[in-house]
Amino acid sequence: MSRQRSRDYRARIDAALSATRQQGALHRFGDAYLEARQKALEDLDFEALREGIAELKDEVGRHRQQYLDQFIELAEKAGAQVVRAADAEAANDYIVQLARRRGAKLAVKSKSMASEEIGLNQALRTAGVEALETDLGEWIVQLAGQRPSHMVMPAIHMFRDEVAALFGQVTGQAEPADIEHLVAVARQQLRDKFLQADMGISGANLAVAETGALALVTNEGNARLVATLPPVHVVLVGIDKLVPTLEDAMRVLQLLPRSATAQALTSYVSWIRGPVPQEGPAKELHIVLLDNGRSALAEDSDCKDALRCLRCGACANVCPVYQTIGGHVFGHTYVGAIGVVLTAFLDGLEPAAELVKACIGCRACVAICPAKIDLEEIILQLRRRISDQEGLGFGKSLVFRRVLRNRRLFHALLRSAAHLQKPITDSRGSIRHLPLHFSSLTEWRTLPAIADKPLRDLMPAIDDQLSAPRLRVALFAGCATDFVHPQIGLSMVSVLNRCKIAVTMPRGQSCCGIPALYSGDRQTAVELARQNVRELLADDPDAVVTTCPTCTAALRQHFVALLQDDAQYAESARRLAAITYDAAAFIAEQLPDLPAAAHRGTVTYHDSCHLKRGCGVWKEPRQLLDKAGWDLREMDRADRCCGFGGSYSFASHPEISREITKDKVNSILRSGAEAVAVDCPGCLIMLRGALEKRGLPQRVAHTLELISEALEDAGEDTI
Amino acid sequence: MIMCGVDMELLERFILAAGRAGAHVVRTLDRTALVDYIARHAEGPILLPNFAVGQRLRLAEALRESGCIVLTEHFRAGAAQASAGITGANFALADTGTVVLDSTDEALRLASTLPRRHFVILDPHKILADGLAAVGPLRVLHRRQSPDFVAFITGPSRTADIERVLTIGVHGPAELHILLLEGISDDPLES
Ligand code: SF4
Ligand code: SF4
Repeated sequence: MSRQRSRDYRARIDAALSATRQQGALHRFGDAYLEARQKALEDLDFEALREGIAELKDEVGRHRQQYLDQFIELAEKAGAQVVRAADAEAANDYIVQLARRRGAKLAVKSKSMASEEIGLNQALRTAGVEALETDLGEWIVQLAGQRPSHMVMPAIHMFRDEVAALFGQVTGQAEPADIEHLVAVARQQLRDKFLQADMGISGANLAVAETGALALVTNEGNARLVATLPPVHVVLVGIDKLVPTLEDAMRVLQLLPRSATAQALTSYVSWIRGPVPQEGPAKELHIVLLDNGRSALAEDSDCKDALRCLRCGACANVCPVYQTIGGHVFGHTYVGAIGVVLTAFLDGLEPAAELVKACIGCRACVAICPAKIDLEEIILQLRRRISDQEGLGFGKSLVFRRVLRNRRLFHALLRSAAHLQKPITDSRGSIRHLPLHFSSLTEWRTLPAIADKPLRDLMPAIDDQLSAPRLRVALFAGCATDFVHPQIGLSMVSVLNRCKIAVTMPRGQSCCGIPALYSGDRQTAVELARQNVRELLADDPDAVVTTCPTCTAALRQHFVALLQDDAQYAESARRLAAITYDAAAFIAEQLPDLPAAAHRGTVTYHDSCHLKRGCGVWKEPRQLLDKAGWDLREMDRADRCCGFGGSYSFASHPEISREITKDKVNSILRSGAEAVAVDCPGCLIMLRGALEKRGLPQRVAHTLELISEALEDAGEDTI
Repeated sequence: MIMCGVDMELLERFILAAGRAGAHVVRTLDRTALVDYIARHAEGPILLPNFAVGQRLRLAEALRESGCIVLTEHFRAGAAQASAGITGANFALADTGTVVLDSTDEALRLASTLPRRHFVILDPHKILADGLAAVGPLRVLHRRQSPDFVAFITGPSRTADIERVLTIGVHGPAELHILLLEGISDDPLES
């Protein structure tokens, strides 16, 4: 089953990749969004505010029942009829029955993702009730017979000419593809429907336990009409929308619109408590509190943070995968990072399996989320669960279990690969073409060859480095530096020697295990964590320094987590974490001020995802480059993923990867710089390969290489 | 009515933020200027619900005297011809340029949602700093009556659902005029 599913998903990716107009729109949206959002957050302390939201949402999570009871009691006291629906069926049943009892023919709806989640429109249609979407984007999507491709902008994948054609079918005449005109058509067409409708259905953004009020946060004003005009108003709201107090509600309102649409506040926030009086029949307010998997999520200690979600859509806006393949493919009911997670809980692991793999792990979503959810970590966790259930696939499990866990075998294989690849390697050490079905890997980038000699064979002996070192550090090279780009390691030795620091490279170190972990093979990762902790601490170094941010994250965070219950290794893992540094940050601290360096040229800096968002390091490498005489020309979106993602770009999703890389190359070119500095061997492989393949002259180098060259040219006695 | 001075800093912030959200903020000197402004901008029949400040200013009378057609009841039926609606505001929020209106009375809701233009009369004494400052009066409003419906209104109705192009007036008012008039109310519990 999973084979067929993967093939189907791949076909959908291909179709999305050929929709270039959509990609263009989503990219422009992402860029404009980031700029506008930054402006909207200008005077606010985003980190403090999102910490506050995380806290209040967690408080509700811990005392769910209490807040739920309080909300229900007060809402009922205000005259609302409240019902709790355990699942989609229960919610649909209640609303359909209600519509039947009231003899409803037409229900007008304002946007409710929860109603998409439970398939309410379909349920009503089956019962003979027309459910008409009135949010402009939702109406467009409904007319097109599709589902929203974004939580806040349902029709972001469509264009004015398509909308004009759809509206033309409604009005029975040709409608010009002019946006202002189309909006006027919607106003006109839908206004009468509001007045005729027997029922209004909406979602809610907040359910305030303290008052029993619901808050609806909207821009178009349709929710106000849905709530006001028909005699019956049904609010379908997930139990995750509960907040304890009005203050908490205001806290959410500070970040929700700013994160969703970069507005300080939306046009309307309506606080509704009970059925307010109206002309004609007595008003009814029904509140359907939807669980549908939310309680299960709350009980899941690894994933429960996802319940903090405000549904702002920011995690999709900034996601390079979403921008490349759109919400219909990278999502289900909900899209982007949170879509991946909610799909697993609301629809099951099976429908989520492909989505979980399609994430490249860049953590852009984590950095932007106003509810401070570590979405990438949750996605990883789900990936592990899926591979536990479905297995890794024969090839992968063979490589991980048999090869990766056995360092000697792994390294012997890499060494022999260096010989085998000779015939296809060019003078620069790049592979430009591969035969047969591997050819797609080199169609759009060259691949680096395995180096003739790995770093472990090239390391200068410690006694040859310095006579009286101040410090002694162990280098954790990682596979890419060790076997592909040993030059990076040598550069690091040379720079650290200048700082009077000696460097060793413990021989028993092996792969950091992240590739296995990201593929869902936790056991191999545990095995490798043990090996590395043991070997790196064996000589009791003053510090452990890495040249790869993914490895840094492994040593600093993952090893600790993987080994926390390991009686023998837990303590050592924590000690290793405490003395591990990324090279750029470590050197920035150790390198004394240099005399004014000669001008070396212009450079643009690419932030590696794991260095900036994983380790919080982004200023340091820029300072180092500046110190070394490089003139920095920032590229736009310097911290957007380069498309590498390890096996993502080789094995699982090279086609998505390629598009993401293309964006990065364009940013580099626009910067006008002569060189590109990176601090991650993966980014180096990706960007050098892509620039080489296009025959572009810009040099891509690790920051350490550029610093070491500058120091060498400056002469022996600069420090 | 004894009122202290208007907090100019809050007022400036409010005017700036409301303007940024697309509202027209007008400082009117007196009742005559206010009525004159509405008469010039209404462009058709006006829905005028019953609210404290409207009563105090005897708006219906004044508007009719200036030649406006004013509807004071049966708004559902009248909405189709109405071109504007007038309400007061309980209070306002400076940092977002928001007016807050207790619209539990259906007439207030209809006047502020159905016509193309919405005129809001606000005494600048009632401008609060932000959402958190609004919690107190909001709590009192909730306690005073049940059920209730309170609206935060920030700028006109808007959408960006087609190609992200900002377009005004999709379902609600396309124009929001906030008319500042000093000395008519300092009570956040009335509009
Ligand atoms: S980690 Fe990156 S690729 Fe994955 S969902 Fe988040 S933003 Fe998208
Ligand atoms: S997960 Fe975070 S960023 Fe994504 S929709 Fe929810 S609140 Fe917004």
